[in-house]
Amino acid sequence: MTEVAADTAPPTAPRASAARPTLRDRRARNRLHRVEHRWALAFVAPPVLGFLLFTLYPVGFAVYASLTSWNGLGPMRFVGLENYVTLLGDEYFRLSMFNTFFYMIGIPVGLVLALLLAIALNRKIPGRTAFRTIYYIPVISSLAAIAIVWQFAYNGDFGLVNQVLSWFGIQGPDWLQNTATVKPAIILMAVWKGLGYSMLLYLAAIQSVPASLYEAASLDGANAFQKLRSITLPMVRPVTFFLVVTNIIAGAQIFTEINIMTPTGGPEMSSASIVWYIVRKAFRYQQMGYATAMSIVLGILVFVITLIQFRLNRRNSFSIE
Amino acid sequence: MKRTRLAAGALCVAMAGALTLTACSGDSGDDGTKTLTFMFRGGPDEKAAYEAAIDRYTEATGVEVEMIVTDADQYATKLQAAVAGNNVPDVFYIEQATLQSYVSSGILMDITDEVAESGVDLDNIWQYGVDSYRFDGTVQGTPDGALYGLPKDVGPFSFGYNKTMLEEAGIELPDPDEPLTWEEFVEICKTLTTDTDGDGAVDQWGTGLNVQWNLQSMVWSNGGDWTNADHTQVTVDTPEFAEALQKFADLTNVDQVTPSASDAATLDTYQRWMAGEIGFFPVGPWDVSVYNDLDFEYDLIPWPTVGDAGSATWLGSLGIGVSAMTEHPQEAVNLVTYLSADAEAQQTLVDANIQVPNLIDVAEEWAAAEDAEPANRQEFLDIAQDYGRAMPAAFTYGAEWYDELWTNIQPVLDGEQTAEDYLAETQPKMQALLDESLANAEMAAGG
Repeated sequence: MTEVAADTAPPTAPRASAARPTLRDRRARNRLHRVEHRWALAFVAPPVLGFLLFTLYPVGFAVYASLTSWNGLGPMRFVGLENYVTLLGDEYFRLSMFNTFFYMIGIPVGLVLALLLAIALNRKIPGRTAFRTIYYIPVISSLAAIAIVWQFAYNGDFGLVNQVLSWFGIQGPDWLQNTATVKPAIILMAVWKGLGYSMLLYLAAIQSVPASLYEAASLDGANAFQKLRSITLPMVRPVTFFLVVTNIIAGAQIFTEINIMTPTGGPEMSSASIVWYIVRKAFRYQQMGYATAMSIVLGILVFVITLIQFRLNRRNSFSIE
Repeated sequence: MKRTRLAAGALCVAMAGALTLTACSGDSGDDGTKTLTFMFRGGPDEKAAYEAAIDRYTEATGVEVEMIVTDADQYATKLQAAVAGNNVPDVFYIEQATLQSYVSSGILMDITDEVAESGVDLDNIWQYGVDSYRFDGTVQGTPDGALYGLPKDVGPFSFGYNKTMLEEAGIELPDPDEPLTWEEFVEICKTLTTDTDGDGAVDQWGTGLNVQWNLQSMVWSNGGDWTNADHTQVTVDTPEFAEALQKFADLTNVDQVTPSASDAATLDTYQRWMAGEIGFFPVGPWDVSVYNDLDFEYDLIPWPTVGDAGSATWLGSLGIGVSAMTEHPQEAVNLVTYLSADAEAQQTLVDANIQVPNLIDVAEEWAAAEDAEPANRQEFLDIAQDYGRAMPAAFTYGAEWYDELWTNIQPVLDGEQTAEDYLAETQPKMQALLDESLANAEMAAGG
C-alpha cells in the first residue's frame, strides 16, 4: 500500500495518512533494518518450514488419502466420499467412538481428585514432598510398562485387585475379559496415571493465589468450603480449562492402554477406542484409505469440541488486577 | 527485498536438503562394501541367533548387514511405515497373510530365477513352507506360482502333555501315534482336574485352551472348515463346525476341566501350564526353549480328535522376502537363501531352540537325536510333512473376515449362547467381509 492508495480512500474512511510514515521514511527504515529482516526470516523459516513439511503437507495428504481406496502399499485409487459413506454404516466405528467418549468419564473424576490432592498437599503436612513425588511417579513412567503391570493387577484369578477384594469376601470379576468391567477398569488406570500431572498444575495454581484474598475472606467470616468455592476454584479456573482441553484431546487419542491391556479390543469390541480401531484397519487389514477417513472425522470432532470449549471459556474468563 | 527473499529461500532449500539427507541411509560404504538392511521380528533368543548367523554371512561374503529388529506386535506397522516412506528394507520377514498385497503392490521381488540359479535344493525344504510364498497372481500356496520368498521356518502347532502329572495320577500315557478320541481326552482331563492340596479349591486342571489358536484342530478333525477349497465361501455355519465349537465351550462349562471361562483368552493358562497345574497344552517349536527348563517332563502327542477326520492342526510359517527396490538384488537373494537354507546358519537357529530345522535332512537328524527334548520331536516333523494345514486366513487377501469370528464369541464360551446360533448369526458378516477382501484382491491385481 502506498500513499496514493491511502489518498484515494473514500472520504468516510479515517484519514490516517498523516500519521503514517512516508514512503521515503519506510525506505530508510527498510535499509536500516534489512539485515535484521534477513536474520528474522532465517530464524522464522525453520518452524514455518517444519509446519509446512510435517503438518500441512501430511494433513493435506491425509485428506486426499481419505478419498481413495488404498492399502498403504500400492497405488491409490480415487473413490470420492465412499469411505465416509462406509463409516456411517460401520457398527464397530460407532462402537469404538462410543467407547472413546465413555473413557472421558475419567476426566472430571481425575480433575476433582487432583484438585483435592493438591489442596491437601499444599498444607504443611509431614512428608508432603515424598507424597508429591509418589503421585508424580506414574506420570513419568512408561505407559506401556504401566499398562502391563495393571493388566496383571486386573487378572481374574491371581490379580492384585481381586486378591484385595477377596480379603473382604468379594469375588471380583475378570476385569479385562468382561464387557461390563473392562471400560471402568481402564478408566481407573488412566485416572491414576494422570493424577500426578493435574495435581502438580493445580498445586502451582493454588500457590499463586494471593494470600490476601484468603485473609480478607477470613475477616468476613468465610469458612473453608466458602473459601474453596469462591476463591480457590475461580482462581484455578485457567488451569482447569487447560486440563480439560488437553485431557479431551489426549482422551480422544487413547490407544496404548487399550492395545496392551486388551489386544483384541476386548470382548465384543467393548474396550476398542477409535484410534485402536483406526490402527487395526490401517495396519492389520491394510485399509489405509478407510482408516484415514476415520482419522479425519476424529480430527474434525476434536477440533469442534475444542472450539466449543474456547467459546464457553470466553464467557467465564475474568481477570484480577 | 529480492535479495532478502533469495537468501531466505536458499536457507530453506539448504534446510530441506539437510532434512532429506538425514532421512536417507547410505547404501554403500565409502570403502565400497555393500550394505543390506534386514528387518525382522523376534525375542532376544531369536535376535542373538540371527546375529551369530549373520556375522558368519558377513565374514564369508564381505556384505555388511544392518539389522532392524522389532517386537512381534509392531512389526507389521513398522514395515508398512517403512514402505510408505520409500525406505523398504532390502530383506525382510513376510507373513503368509500379507504376501498377496505386498506382491500386487510391487514391493516384493520375484526371486524364482535367482533361487533356481543359487543351487538351493528346494526339495530339501518343507514343501508347505516354500509353496506358502508362491503366488501366481490369483492363488497363493500352489506349486506353480512365482516365488516371492523362502520360508524362515515352518511352525507346526503340536499338542503336549505333562508327563510327570499323568504318571503321578497313575494314568496310562497317551500313544504318540494314535490320537485320543475326544471322549478319552475329556475323561483323562476329568481325572486330572482336582484339588491337590485339599483347600477346597481346584488347583489342577485337565487342560486350558484358547479358542483363537486351538479351535482349528477341533473343527478340522470333525470334518469342518472355515471356507470352501478356493476360499470364496465362508462355511462356519455347518453342523461339524458348530459341534466342534460347542465341545470347545463345553470343556469349561459342562466338563469343567479348564480354569474359569474368561481365562482362555488371557495368558494365564500358559502360566499355569508352566507352573505344572495343567495336564494337556499346545506346544509350538518356539515354546521349546522355555518349556525345556520347566520343573516337569512333557512330551508331544497328536491332537485329540472330535470327529473321524483324523488328527489335525495348523502349520504356520514366516517367510523372508526381498524388496523389489533393492540396489543389491543378488546379495539380497543370497542372504535369503543363506538364512533359509544354509546348513550352518540353520544349526545356529536350531541350537537356540527357537524353531524346527528348515532343511528336511537336518530336521530328521534333529528329531532322532538321543537326548531330544521333548522326546517325540518327530511329531513336529509329521505335522510339517503330513498333516499340518494352513491357518484359515493364511492365503486370503487380508484376515478381517477371519477375525470377525472371534470378536463376539465370548457369550458362546461363557455358555450364554449356543455355538449353532452364534455361527448362524456370524456367517453372513464373515461372508460380507470375505467378499470385500476378494474384491480388493481383484482390484489390487488389476491396478
